[in-house]
Amino acid sequence: MITLRRVAGALGLALSTALLGAAAHPSPKVVLIKHADYIRQTLAGAKQYFVRTVDIGKQDLAAIRRKSDYTPDDPDVEFYLGQGDGGTPVGVVLFQQVDTPHGPLEVGLTFGPDGAISSAGVTTATVETKPWVLEAIATGLMDKFTGMKPGDDPAKALGEVQGKLGGMPQYMAELIATAVGRGMTLYATLYKGSES
Amino acid sequence: MPLYSLRQADRSVKLAAVLFLLVLGYAYLFAFLMVKTWSGLTPAKVAATYVPAPGMDEMHMSTESHATTKPLDLGRMPEMQHTVDTNTLVQDSHIHIMIYAIVAGLLTLIILGLDWPAWWRDTVIVAAFATGALDFAGQWLMNFGLGGFAWLTLVSGWGMSLVYLVVLYSTIRAVLPGRSMEKLS
Repeated sequence: MITLRRVAGALGLALSTALLGAAAHPSPKVVLIKHADYIRQTLAGAKQYFVRTVDIGKQDLAAIRRKSDYTPDDPDVEFYLGQGDGGTPVGVVLFQQVDTPHGPLEVGLTFGPDGAISSAGVTTATVETKPWVLEAIATGLMDKFTGMKPGDDPAKALGEVQGKLGGMPQYMAELIATAVGRGMTLYATLYKGSES
Repeated sequence: MPLYSLRQADRSVKLAAVLFLLVLGYAYLFAFLMVKTWSGLTPAKVAATYVPAPGMDEMHMSTESHATTKPLDLGRMPEMQHTVDTNTLVQDSHIHIMIYAIVAGLLTLIILGLDWPAWWRDTVIVAAFATGALDFAGQWLMNFGLGGFAWLTLVSGWGMSLVYLVVLYSTIRAVLPGRSMEKLS
């Protein structure tokens, strides 16, 4: 009977360990806004949409690295174009992802016909990072990127929310700014360079 | 050398074994839904989750960028593919493989009391440990670009479920009253 009690004790201990381990499991992605919805909402007035896929060449890759000390993971970058009546350009959207130890973070960036950011929004987070991301967004951070043009420093947006965030939300804000900076570099280098 | 018999064990041991299996089944149900949602249940979908997209191949890269533009129907825009990169797979592996080993160990403690023939007992114990290990072996092989091993991960997952169901069935039979040892041995 003592042996059986020991077996039961071992079962309980092992189950507790298993539950603790399960709690540490990395969390899956959470889509805050679908790509199609983000494109539709931020390219208001667009009547037709196009996707432009740019296969990065050596010259542009060197330019991207020079401008942002960053190498894209994917050799193909997709830009989503909206056109209004008569083919008038409404804007261009791209989705820029940054990887973190807590999972990926993706930012949607919309550029107006003047080449400035007309809208920015976090489209994907993870179960773990979502509360931190939402806290960062609640400060009005995303609006601070509006009007920025390639070459501007996205970190300036962080200065305006200084002191409002701490710990992980501040880290998320910095990652969002990083994604915006990379997105502006890709737009300036690849989209502008591929305009016909 | 005789092992313990779940059939003759204290009621608390039977209770612990059954509750463990039921809660494990509860967890497996959500694990199934999670895999179905984030990865898929076909070899093609599993491979799309774990096989890395082709990275930068600077050796064969053209000097200038090349662009193609196509019309886009937002209503038919595919959802973003959930992918597991190497860093995420390291995170998944370090926790999952440990949990698989603990669960296989706990199942083994139950199996040891099921009055099974030794060959069958050993077979199920090996299967309990092997399915977890092969599940991640398949994921890592896909991460190395061998998408054909998606079947290994899928078969391992189903194998894990099969082991669970066999142990659950036998445990329920063992703890229910009215069946003598003689009939089962």
